[in-house]
Amino acid sequence: MSTTTAVAPNNDPRRADKIIRYKAPAIGSGSAGDDPLPDYMNVLSMLLSMCGLMLKLKWSAWMALYCSAVSFTNSRINDDTKQILSSFMLSISAVVMSYLQNPQPMTLPFTN
Amino acid sequence: MGFILSRRSGRQYSRVVSLVLATNLVMALILEICVVSVDSKLASDQQYEDNEFAEFEDTDEDSPPAPPNTKPDATAREANANVGPNASPSAADDEDDDVEEVVDNRNKLNKESDKSDVTVEDEDDDELDDEEFEYVSESDDSGSKSESSADRSRDTAGGNAKKPDLKITNVPLHLRSNWESYYLEFLMIAGLVIYFINFIAGRNKNHKMADTWFDVHKELLYSNFALVGDDGKKEVESAGLNKETESVFTLWCSGRVCVEGMLVELKFLKRQDLVSVVSNYFKPTTDQIQIRVTLNVDAMDSYVFCIANKKSAQRLAKEMNDINTYCPTKKTPEKYGVLGDKFVLLNEIGEAASVLLDAKVISLLKKYEDCIDYIHFTDQYSGYRLAEDIQPTKLPDVKRMLIFAFNFPSNSSRNYDEIEAMKPLLQLVFYSIEKVRRFRLSREGKMKAERNRRRVEELFLKTTHVQRQEVAQLKREERRRAEKEKMLNDSDPEKQRKWEEKEYKRELKRKTPKMKQLKVKAM
Repeated sequence: MSTTTAVAPNNDPRRADKIIRYKAPAIGSGSAGDDPLPDYMNVLSMLLSMCGLMLKLKWSAWMALYCSAVSFTNSRINDDTKQILSSFMLSISAVVMSYLQNPQPMTLPFTN
Repeated sequence: MGFILSRRSGRQYSRVVSLVLATNLVMALILEICVVSVDSKLASDQQYEDNEFAEFEDTDEDSPPAPPNTKPDATAREANANVGPNASPSAADDEDDDVEEVVDNRNKLNKESDKSDVTVEDEDDDELDDEEFEYVSESDDSGSKSESSADRSRDTAGGNAKKPDLKITNVPLHLRSNWESYYLEFLMIAGLVIYFINFIAGRNKNHKMADTWFDVHKELLYSNFALVGDDGKKEVESAGLNKETESVFTLWCSGRVCVEGMLVELKFLKRQDLVSVVSNYFKPTTDQIQIRVTLNVDAMDSYVFCIANKKSAQRLAKEMNDINTYCPTKKTPEKYGVLGDKFVLLNEIGEAASVLLDAKVISLLKKYEDCIDYIHFTDQYSGYRLAEDIQPTKLPDVKRMLIFAFNFPSNSSRNYDEIEAMKPLLQLVFYSIEKVRRFRLSREGKMKAERNRRRVEELFLKTTHVQRQEVAQLKREERRRAEKEKMLNDSDPEKQRKWEEKEYKRELKRKTPKMKQLKVKAM
């Protein structure tokens, strides 16, 4: 019947008054340190799409699209969606521009 | 007599001269005729050959056999002529003309030249005209008009074939007419589609596993904690698992006696990423669950204890700050009752290990030896070891923590009953919490622990001595500068002078070397 915080008679370990809210670990070290893959893939996709646009390399633009997709699937929920969306759009534009400039089918870099 | 002789000789001389002149004239005429005829023959022959090989392959009855060395050029020209859009119709036309105008006169020349103007490119027209005029003049001399007209007609056609300066434009392959050449593009698109299908399938599987785990363990959690699931908002709206990524789920539980909070992390395989799925095929890992219980300050005594899988033990000994500091040696847990060579013990105080590894725990370790990755109890938890070159200026903050890492059974993704079988592991967590709460070290144990911690602190102070000195020096300088500024701003000259004197004395004292005073005993 006591309302103190001592062990209740029914041995219930719960203490509603001792609730401490969750504090996420430091954003910089926690989230980035765990898994750097989405960030690397994001940068790589932007780099490849710029290469594809400037040097008119179709395979580079396609690889950029793939890297962007990998970055998207590995991203954290609280990551900025704008960043990933922008890299997606950039790689799609690289692919489209390469084909508009040169509608020939793609050739891989190490063949002919 | 000389005169008569001279007259006779003069007559003879003139006769000879005239004879010579006549023969000369005749020879010249003959030569000219010969040259002209040879020229015309040669030209006609060439054109004949060009015609033949440039235009048609089946005009053998009309043309003489061509010498072999001109054949490749001619065939090349023929190929060009055939491909070029301009050459073939003009060639066809000329062939017809050729047949017709063998009989006709040079009044048809203009017509042909017009045709040739139409069909052949402009730069050829001038040359053709010249040639035609040449033949006109020569045909007057030679007199064979039919031949010349034939020559001329062949000439125009030959002209076409001789100068195939036709530029073949590189027409790009059109998409609609030539799907097959775009096979690489289709492959790429197919790859992307497969990737996204895998993303959706993998994500759903991970979600399902997480939900199953939560459903199985919900009861146990709610009976132990007042708050299960914290979504970070001011008022907890959705209690339950929090999604960090598509393969990592967290659950924060709080509101229990002697426990600050418990963080459960479900770290599944990255089934949503095809690249990770493929790499996992080569280097297999399992789904893992990590439970970190943060205890209140008075809930635990001072000791560091860890029992782990061999591989994990190596990793922890290297990475974890507290294990690295307090448990440098690896031991076998055999003497405490844990048989087999699966586990390795990293322990600071032997007494703690013997108490914590009681019968129940040992039986669980044996039963779930594949599932248990490591169990780590510590009062000096400060995270991962920092890099060698980074020296902290003060001792890191420590927390009292119990860390458990369990692997999911390998076929739990297909068979969800396996997750049910993991329930005893969560029960082990609560059992350990209670045990740690009640366990207190003996006096010797406590002293040993204190001694260890003090030693660590001293070592730390020594290594950072130089750094701390520098920091202190900087602080002193800062303070003095502030004082100086204050004095300068102060308008009272008396005060300023006094302060300056004091400063000067201080400087002098600092500069002179400290000499020890020796008392010399007078003998």
